[in-house]
Amino acid sequence: MRTAIVVAVLAAFIGVVLFLGADDPSGPNASVVIGLVTGAAYGLVAIGLVLVYKGARVFNFAQGEFGTLAAFIVFVLLEQVTSPTIPYWAAALIAVFSVTLIGIGMERVVVRPLMNAPRVTLLVATIAFALLAIGVEIMLFLPEAKSLPRVIEAVNEAGQPVGPEVFGYSIEPQLLLIVAVLLALAAILGWFFSKTDLGLAILATSQDSFATRVVGIGVERTSRFIWGAAAFLGAVAGILYIPPSLPLAPGIMTAGVLIASFTAAVVGGMTSLPGAFVGGIAVGLIQSLSQWASGAWEIGGKTIDTIVPGAPNVAVFIVLLLVLLIRPQGLLGSEA
Amino acid sequence: MATAQVAATAPPATHAGRFSPSMRGWFARIGVLAGLFALLMWVTAVVPGYWADRISLAVIFAIIGISLNIVLGYVGQVSLGHHGFVGIAAFVAAYYVTEQAGCTPETGCTITAFSTGMVVAAASGALAAGLLGIVALRIKGLYLALITLSYGFVAETSIFEIPSLTRAGSGMPAARPTAFDSDTEFAFLTFAFLALVIYLDWRLIRSKVGRAILSLKHSEPVASSYGINVTAFKILAFVMSGLFAGIGGGLYAFRLENVVANDFQFTSSLLWVLMVVVGGLGNRTGVIIGSAFFAVFPFLVELIPGAEHFFNDTLSRNISYLPILIGPALAIITIIQFPGGIAEQISPITRWLRGERFSLHPEGHGSHSKKDTRKAMLAKLGLDKNGEGEATEAPTEEIKQDSEPVVQGQPEEPHGSAGHDDTKEGVS
Repeated sequence: MRTAIVVAVLAAFIGVVLFLGADDPSGPNASVVIGLVTGAAYGLVAIGLVLVYKGARVFNFAQGEFGTLAAFIVFVLLEQVTSPTIPYWAAALIAVFSVTLIGIGMERVVVRPLMNAPRVTLLVATIAFALLAIGVEIMLFLPEAKSLPRVIEAVNEAGQPVGPEVFGYSIEPQLLLIVAVLLALAAILGWFFSKTDLGLAILATSQDSFATRVVGIGVERTSRFIWGAAAFLGAVAGILYIPPSLPLAPGIMTAGVLIASFTAAVVGGMTSLPGAFVGGIAVGLIQSLSQWASGAWEIGGKTIDTIVPGAPNVAVFIVLLLVLLIRPQGLLGSEA
Repeated sequence: MATAQVAATAPPATHAGRFSPSMRGWFARIGVLAGLFALLMWVTAVVPGYWADRISLAVIFAIIGISLNIVLGYVGQVSLGHHGFVGIAAFVAAYYVTEQAGCTPETGCTITAFSTGMVVAAASGALAAGLLGIVALRIKGLYLALITLSYGFVAETSIFEIPSLTRAGSGMPAARPTAFDSDTEFAFLTFAFLALVIYLDWRLIRSKVGRAILSLKHSEPVASSYGINVTAFKILAFVMSGLFAGIGGGLYAFRLENVVANDFQFTSSLLWVLMVVVGGLGNRTGVIIGSAFFAVFPFLVELIPGAEHFFNDTLSRNISYLPILIGPALAIITIIQFPGGIAEQISPITRWLRGERFSLHPEGHGSHSKKDTRKAMLAKLGLDKNGEGEATEAPTEEIKQDSEPVVQGQPEEPHGSAGHDDTKEGVS
């Protein structure tokens, strides 16, 4: 019920902004559309964060690097393996598969020994793993930024991305693909956690690991699944989001996406999968609208300067702080 | 006291009782400490300038490590925004000496301008941390890690981009005081500040306030039931941490002599967290050694014959990226295998220096590993199925210890206590 209200409010807000700014080229129209698709990418990463938080009660700082690692693997397979050349879909599959294995390996080597350790220790361990991944990327792929080809190549002669028009703003297909993938994954995960045995076992583990073990559920198995699935989601997010939006550089998903995704998860309530989705969209909108609002304005003949360097980051910081202070359980969070 | 006559190198006595070294023992300890100190000073004095510069970097890292240790080791919270505090302090110090005191790289600074700059830097670090702490430390749980990380990004993309403070791309100059212009002289100056920070940290922790702060890590509800204002002491600890970070940042500015925003990125904060963990949470000596190690380690690798050539030419990888690979790996190994960090490994030496008997085992009571403690507990409860209750003489204080006594290469490690699959147990 609450989910429906929140989604309706968000949709109404977007609708009103798009309606009001329909004929104004300098209006917030384009920003809203950009915010929506960026927010979908945040939501994709945030779903992985929520999954880990549900299962292990810890913030996974390595979630962003799963994506960068996957993108680098795709890059290497496409650019450096020349005979035989590997088609894009195969490279992407291999990358997602290997990163899922990396996630499972991380669970075995780093998370499992710390299962009963204080959460701060596990948190620092995920930071260490993220930095280790960044170190490996720097060592193996050199620190210069590269660019990764898109899943769907749609570029005109001038090199500008082309695609279907959304509210008068051209969106390239890959960004729409992110929205579609996010919707599909959110639906699958929602079904998984409410209907399947493994999903329910994970929820039980997150509430009381000891009691879960007493009734015969393998805590190790659920933990392995959680980290593997989180790595899978991170890898998908990285391969989809880096090509159209970010340069391929070591640590790029941690520097560029992770904190916004954390904010998205917190806005959604940290334990709610639909919340991560809604939170992602909300944070994406806030970022792009604050970027749009930061500029020189002419109002009534006077120029008002509202330029704030790094406005999106300031907005994310304020949102994170306000949500945690006023409503720590987020929009859709509950203690489950 | 009969134990007072036991020389420092005497074998451990079998009876309990407070050990105190003899006169000779104390002289030996003071001699070793003085020798180490003299060696450090001598090395700093004789090495070429660029090595003195690296030593001052190590000292600055040690100061930052002590600063982070207050939040991470004493309070048990994670701050990922320390590059924000350090960077703000560095820019404020540079801004003060260049724009207010009128120092230029040609004329250098007066001592007065430098000291004021350092005070302003320390104050700005404390202020930045205090403001963040007042709003952020009310939030329960691990969320401080997220907020500080977000704050660090704001500092990076907004505060460090204010042109009047940071002169954007070209950087803000920060001339060193004329009396400490050379790298060697400056390294000695940083040592003086490290001594100050160590003294302040020591006084803080030994005071009533310090004990209140330390109690937060174990249980906030218990602390508050003893009348400790949890939020106020957390904020105070955060302000102290910011103050030290400010001192570190100010020195950083004068070490670089030209501060640019690129020097303070979130990866530095993450690496600083890891160096404190590797050093040993809550242990000042360990943290200083760990931090200094993280600072000079890439340069030490260069000393290995052929290492630089191997990296730069054979592997065509820049050797300066090595710490970001080795540091996290060390941190993971530390967290999983040696939770006490460097502090735990060198504890026989530090305990000896503090006037205890030299022993490879904590408390000097002979062997007690995780398994021993567990066995002792089981025997106490009458649950030792295998009837191997020999470990009952292990004193009860050991059970209460919250840190795992992990001593590498411990000879008395009992391998024979079969039947217990205790990999999941006892990790507290």
